[in-house]
Amino acid sequence: MSVTFKAITTENGKGLFHLFPALCKGCGLCIEKCPVDTIGWAKQLGAFGTPVVEPGHGKPCIACKKCQLVCPDAAIWIERRDGKGRDTSLTAAPEKHVQHK
Amino acid sequence: MAIAAQPQMPRVWRAETKPHKFCPGCGHGIVLKALGEAIDALDIQERTIFGCDIGCSLLSWDFFNLDTVQTHHGRTTPVLVGIKRARPELVVVSYMGDGGAYAIGAQHLVSSASRNDLVTIIVVNNTVYAMTGGQMAPTTLPGQKTETTPYGRDARLTGRPILGPELVAAIAPPGAYVARGSIANIVQLKNFIQKGLQNQLEGRGIAFIEALSSCPTNWHTNAAATWRFVEKEMTAYFPVGELRTPEEKPSGRFQEVPPYES
Ligand SMILES: Cc1ncc(C[n+]2csc(CCOP(=O)(O)OP(=O)(O)O)c2C)c(N)n1
Ligand code: SF4
Ligand code: SF4
Ligand code: SF4
Ligand SMILES: [Mg+2]
Repeated sequence: MSVTFKAITTENGKGLFHLFPALCKGCGLCIEKCPVDTIGWAKQLGAFGTPVVEPGHGKPCIACKKCQLVCPDAAIWIERRDGKGRDTSLTAAPEKHVQHK
Repeated sequence: MAIAAQPQMPRVWRAETKPHKFCPGCGHGIVLKALGEAIDALDIQERTIFGCDIGCSLLSWDFFNLDTVQTHHGRTTPVLVGIKRARPELVVVSYMGDGGAYAIGAQHLVSSASRNDLVTIIVVNNTVYAMTGGQMAPTTLPGQKTETTPYGRDARLTGRPILGPELVAAIAPPGAYVARGSIANIVQLKNFIQKGLQNQLEGRGIAFIEALSSCPTNWHTNAAATWRFVEKEMTAYFPVGELRTPEEKPSGRFQEVPPYES
């Protein structure tokens, strides 16, 4: 069985900030780890009816992927707008995400 | 055609069971991300068996696309050691909380360490008995307030927090791999876990990794205070790093007894 998640995609600085509201539990761990403080609370609600996060609250995103790395729920995917460094993140590129039965 | 953006989960994660059952900001999700990445990197999904304990670790019973067993406090290790002895080609992972591993089921950890069992053990240290409402655990820090230490843990009364990796490192024979990582350094934690799995794959001996983790629900912390507690207070008492690596030479009281391999 395969499953897909809808993203809210926001362009910011060097990154495309993909946020999956069905996964985001609004814990705020990512907000604390962003080196440019761009992440803040959004209007949309997430998995538990609490606000999800969005970029645009600080300096422009530098696509460091720290937020993606620390999110316990894999609710963020940072895509670089220049298309580089797709495979260098801790997690695999989406093309490689194979769903097993 | 461009693929619609999808979450970057480790391949071994089971996407249809997400969002997972852990609370917002729970470190278990981060540790299981590091474990998932390590399993992916070694490409051992088809032969890995995952065991979880009593406690919040059991919320991971449907987390991975792996054959999974859930057992009682600390017994996860002997159950998986049994599986390993019957099916030595498998890779077995014992995933426990600090309460299960160091208090309620500690004898199993001690026995496995002294036998140098071929098992990779991950203990999530969140300084409390989380699932039952945040009571004092062996790892609760001196002065830390919990449900059962409302005025802060008094070390004169209840002793000092247990140092799990130090304990295992002191009794495990040569060939053991022992480390302490933290959710504050996920790449390092993933590398420690990967080395721990490698140790089992090479048949060298036990692998034990403690992960400093968070429990915002029972700590009653917001995100900033959660990180502060993990990175400042926990790390000051529980040093992060490798304690034993399998390259060391056998010496002294340790005879060269290879790990049991059926
Ligand atoms: C023998 C026994 N004693 C007590 C309990 C109640 N109990 C269930 S979970 C738990 C705490 C587990 O804490 P820990 O291992 O640290 O896991 P966490 O929930 O913190 O991840 C306790 C005391 C039990 N299930 N069995
Ligand atoms: S990628 Fe880095 S800079 Fe961009 S939002 Fe995430 S943490 Fe902030
Ligand atoms: S994106 Fe992840 S880390 Fe950030 S608030 Fe949501 S669940 Fe928490
Ligand atoms: S109670 Fe604590 S350890 Fe358990 S799921 Fe919630 S945050 Fe995680
Ligand atoms: Mg615990």
